[in-house]
Amino acid sequence: MNTSLIEITNLSKTYSTAAGDFPALKNINLTVNKGEFLGVVGKSGAGKSTLLNMINGVDELSTGEVLVNSNGGRVSVHRLTEDEKALWRGQTMGVIYQSFQLLPMLTLVENITLPMDLAGNFKPRESREKAMELLRLVEIEEHAEKLPALISGGQQQRVAIARALANDPDILVADEPTGSLDSVTADHIFDVFSRLASERGKTIVMVTHDMGLKSRFTRCLTLADGELQDEITPSAKAKGRRKA
Amino acid sequence: MTSRRSAPPHRTQPKPVLQKVSDAAPEAIIEMRGVVKKFSNAAGEFTVLKGVDLQIDRGEFVSIVGKSGSGKSTLLNMITGIDHPTSGQVIVNHTDIYTGVSESQRSKWRGKNLGIVFQFFQLLPMLTLLENVMLPMDYVDMYDFDLRPVRALELLELVGLEKFANKLPVLVSTGQQQLAAIARAMACDPPLLIADEPTGNLDTRSSDTIIGLFEHFVQQGKTIVMVTHDPSLTSRTHRNIIISDGELIDETISRGLPQLRHRHMLEFTKLAERRVYQPHEAIISRDEKLNHFYVIRKGEVEVVLQKQRSKETVLSRLGANEFFGEAELLRGGRSIANVRAGRAPVEVLAIPRGDYNRVMEESPVTMEAVGKVVQKRLQEHRMADPRGGRK
Repeated sequence: MNTSLIEITNLSKTYSTAAGDFPALKNINLTVNKGEFLGVVGKSGAGKSTLLNMINGVDELSTGEVLVNSNGGRVSVHRLTEDEKALWRGQTMGVIYQSFQLLPMLTLVENITLPMDLAGNFKPRESREKAMELLRLVEIEEHAEKLPALISGGQQQRVAIARALANDPDILVADEPTGSLDSVTADHIFDVFSRLASERGKTIVMVTHDMGLKSRFTRCLTLADGELQDEITPSAKAKGRRKA
Repeated sequence: MTSRRSAPPHRTQPKPVLQKVSDAAPEAIIEMRGVVKKFSNAAGEFTVLKGVDLQIDRGEFVSIVGKSGSGKSTLLNMITGIDHPTSGQVIVNHTDIYTGVSESQRSKWRGKNLGIVFQFFQLLPMLTLLENVMLPMDYVDMYDFDLRPVRALELLELVGLEKFANKLPVLVSTGQQQLAAIARAMACDPPLLIADEPTGNLDTRSSDTIIGLFEHFVQQGKTIVMVTHDPSLTSRTHRNIIISDGELIDETISRGLPQLRHRHMLEFTKLAERRVYQPHEAIISRDEKLNHFYVIRKGEVEVVLQKQRSKETVLSRLGANEFFGEAELLRGGRSIANVRAGRAPVEVLAIPRGDYNRVMEESPVTMEAVGKVVQKRLQEHRMADPRGGRK
C-alpha cells in the first residue's frame, strides 16, 4: 500500500517583476509516496527549481498547500514560521545541488559532521562514526581525510549526498545533481540515489532538464511552463512495449 | 537577530603544533622557498610547479595570472594548505604550514589565519546567509557564542547584504552569494584573504563591487592574493605575478615589457643576469659597443651626455621597470650616451643582445612599443646634442 509523504494541492507561485506578474507554477497537484524516486523533467525556466523550493519551503507559495507526513507528524510547510521551517527542514530534508557546495577548507568527513554538530543531534564521536558510515555508503570512505579540492567532481557530489543524509532525513530533494558531471559519473550518482530509495526507503525528488534520464526514475513527471504535463512510469512504458 | 542553532558540542581537537620559522622575513606574510609540486597519473609524472620562490608582504594586494594549466590554482593551493608540495617550504604568517602537522591541525590553523573565496561560493545550502557567515567562528571557536550572530550581521552589512541575512543562498543572486562568501571568509578576521577566480562567475557590476570590497580590506591592512584572468582586475592590484608553465616570471620583466608573450617573459627571466651598481658607477659608456639590454629592477639610473669641454647634461633619469640600451641595440650597437647609477645603488637585469634581438623579431608588438620609446629618447637626445643625435 502506498503511503503518501508529500501532498501538494492547488499550488501556484507567481513572481512580480517590473514587467508584470510571472506565473512560475500553475495549479500543481501532486502526491509523492514514501520510497519513490520521483523525477521532474523540463526545460530551463519550466519551474522545476521553484517546485523544489515550494516542497522544502525555501520560497513562499502564492496559493495552495504543501503537506509533508514525516517524523510521525503531518506538517503544512508554508504555515510554519521561518525558524520552525528551518528546524523542520533540517530534520526532514536533505538538499543536493548541481554545484556541490562543500566547504573547501574542511576535510570530507568534517564536511559531513558539520551539519550534525549544528543540529546537535549527536555527540562528537558519534557524529564522526556516523559520517564515516555515510562515506562508506556512497563508497568514498578511503578519501575521508582529504580536502574537496583533491577529489573529482563525481566524488564531491557523493560527499554532498552523504552530507544531505547527515541527519537521516526521510526526503532528499536534488536540483540538477548530475548537471556538471560526465555521463559515466552521472550514472554512478544515479545508482547511489536508486539504492537510497530501494534499500534505505528514502524518498527522492529530483529535477533535471535532461529528458534522457526519464527511465532512471521510478516515476517521472514533465513540467512545462509551470504546469505538470503528463506522467510516465518506466514500468508502464515497458508494459506498452510488451503489448506491441 | 536570532540564531536557530544550538551551541556546537565541544570537539576535542589536537593542539596545533605548527612551527614558527625563525628566519622568516619580518615583513612577509607569505614565503615560498623552492616549492616543487609533481602529480602522477597514468601518463606519467607531471611537474606543475618547478621550484617557485615567492615573497608577499603584509598589506599587499596581489593578483596571480597565467594561462589555463600554468599552475596558478596549484600555487594558491600550496598557500592555503589545501594541497601539499612535493618539496620546498611554504611559510604563511611566519609559520611553516607543512612540516610536522596533521590535516586537522592545519585546518584549525587555516580557520584563524586565512579567509578563502572560491569561484563557486561554497555556501551551505541549508543555512541562511547569516548562519553561513557564522560557520567559521563556530569551527575555530572564535568570539563568544552570543557575539557571533552580531559579528556575522556586521559583516553582511559591510558587503551590503543585511536585508538578506535570513535568506537561504538559493534565494539570492550569484553576485550576492559571492559577497556572502567574502563575508564568511572574513568572519574570523584573518590577516590574509586568498581568492581563486572570485569574479569568474559574475557580471561586470558584481565584479566591480567585489574588487572595491577587496580594496577596502587592503586599506584596513589585510593582505589579498587573488588568482584571476581578468585584466580589468589586475590593473587594480599592487602587484601582478605571472606564472607560466609552473615557473614565476620576474616581475621586473613583466612590468617593463608587458607586451611580450608569457613564454618570452619566462625566457628573459631565465636569461637575465642580475647586476648591482654602486652610486654613480658607470653602466654604459658613450660609443661603447653594447652587448646587453637592461631593465631596472631597483633604484634609478642617469642617462648623461658629456659634450667636449662642457658640463655634462643629464638627459633623463630612469626608474624601476624602465629599460635602457634598446636604442643602441636597434641602431647598430654603439651607445649614444653614458648611463650610470643614480645617487643610490641600482639593481638591473641584463639580457644578452642576441636573445633580445631574436625575441624582438618574434614579438612585433613589443618591438613596436619599444620603438616608440626609442623615437622619444632619440628626439630628446637630438635636442640636447644636435650633432651627436644625427649619428
